[in-house]
Amino acid sequence: MSYLWFKILPLLANKLVGELFIIQSMPVRMNNKYNLDMIEKIIISGVILLCLTSCEAFDVHPYDVNVKGERNINAKNRSIIEQQTFDQDTIRFACISDSHQWYSDMAAAIRDINRKGENIDFVIHGGDLTDTGTAREFEWCDEVLRGLKLPYIAMIGNHDYLGTGEEYFVKKYGALNFNFIAGRIKFVILNTNATEYDYIASVPDLNYIREQSIVDSALFDRTIVLMHARPYSDQFNNNIAEPFEYYLLNFLKPMFCINGHDHIFKNEQIFNDGLIYYGLPSPNKRKYMIFTITPNSYDYEIIDF
Amino acid sequence: MIMRSLIFSLLLILMSISIQAQVRHQEVIKLISDSLSRDTSLSLYDRNVFRGYLRWSKLIPSQSILQIAGNMGTCSLGIGWYYGKHEQWETHLLFGFIPKHDLKNAKLTMTLKETYRPWSVKAYKGLYFEPLTCGIYCNTVFGQEFWGRQPERYPKSYYSFLSTKIRFNVFLGEQFTWKIPKYRMTNKKSVSFFYEVSTCDLYLRSMITEKYLKLHDIIGLSLGAKFTFI
Repeated sequence: MSYLWFKILPLLANKLVGELFIIQSMPVRMNNKYNLDMIEKIIISGVILLCLTSCEAFDVHPYDVNVKGERNINAKNRSIIEQQTFDQDTIRFACISDSHQWYSDMAAAIRDINRKGENIDFVIHGGDLTDTGTAREFEWCDEVLRGLKLPYIAMIGNHDYLGTGEEYFVKKYGALNFNFIAGRIKFVILNTNATEYDYIASVPDLNYIREQSIVDSALFDRTIVLMHARPYSDQFNNNIAEPFEYYLLNFLKPMFCINGHDHIFKNEQIFNDGLIYYGLPSPNKRKYMIFTITPNSYDYEIIDF
Repeated sequence: MIMRSLIFSLLLILMSISIQAQVRHQEVIKLISDSLSRDTSLSLYDRNVFRGYLRWSKLIPSQSILQIAGNMGTCSLGIGWYYGKHEQWETHLLFGFIPKHDLKNAKLTMTLKETYRPWSVKAYKGLYFEPLTCGIYCNTVFGQEFWGRQPERYPKSYYSFLSTKIRFNVFLGEQFTWKIPKYRMTNKKSVSFFYEVSTCDLYLRSMITEKYLKLHDIIGLSLGAKFTFI
């Protein structure tokens, strides 16, 4: 697409510059070769400059979405995870969340995860990869996440919606509702940032929850549900908090839920029905979590780094 | 939202209009104005009409500007005024264009830019070098997904620090001006080429709060040309 603009823009600039500066001076001095030479030079240099804008040194706009590097990361890592954990009965995964601008803290967490690497299968980022949804912040976050030696899955947080952040996220990581199977456990990632849609979108998508209980049902026995904002938080569509819980318990029957957004570790039942929601700490607290799923139960650790 | 951006653009234009633009031609205009008042063949009404014309003529932009990048779109075109005792102040109004890239729609931006150039050094014949240009600009981007103040759907002061629509940028740069000799002048007085290094408020905030980010992460280069007519 950008190549198209490189064709159109010089033409446009040529036309504009031409009309503004050449045509006006024409009647005055038609034979003024010197003047036209300069205009030509300006146009040529303008074209070169336009081509240069593809370099990283030029900032088009904070909310310009021109995704560099890898795209559709979630889908790629999903196939890696599904292959690697295909016959494993114990799954171990690390969770970091709400990294916002704390890149050095997240980098430290990632170094710590890399050190423990051989025991961990994959990493999940619980949303809020950026603070204001700008393209540069996504690039900085990507730079840090690429330091991971393990496959990772990112989900969208409310801060990633700001400006054109959602469009960037979809291009870079993929769909907002997402699922993958590790071992015989299905991980269902649900977009629960309803406030960002002014509550008019199907967020959380109840049909998706029901669908996921049926799709590939031969490949999994248990499920884990992940979301950025938990029920009754400021982002959740709290009008359907109870139906949401009802759908989870009746269709997906998850072992437990994991959520981000709150920046502190939480471990509680929201509806007093036995379903535990684990709130993930943010990296600036110098904490992240590791979950270990064994054939019969599960365990979690809070790692200080 | 459209209303708000309209008001904003009107404000920008008013701000630019309030600036007294031309410097040299002011004297000529004053002469004409004097001769108008002396001309007895004109009625009072005619005189006032001509004076009105002259008064508004001060607002005719004296420059056009083309800028590449700089957090205001890939390519921005605009008009400008210079003023001050040594013509060291400049105000520009630019319209920029953000290509579609991976977005659903291409976007339009508007920028009000204020430049200060303290020095001008004669380098060679008509070529002048301005070792420092600095200033700020305010950029607004048009589109439904951007808001000036957080919409009502959010709880109070949820994103209180932020406006996704309006960006404040600071820049430092240098400029070369070529003053066209009088015998070669047609419709331009001078041509300037400049480069700028700029950053915006969001990036500055990120760098101040996070030591992971270095200065070279947040700055960007931008290039441009100015054509002075009057």
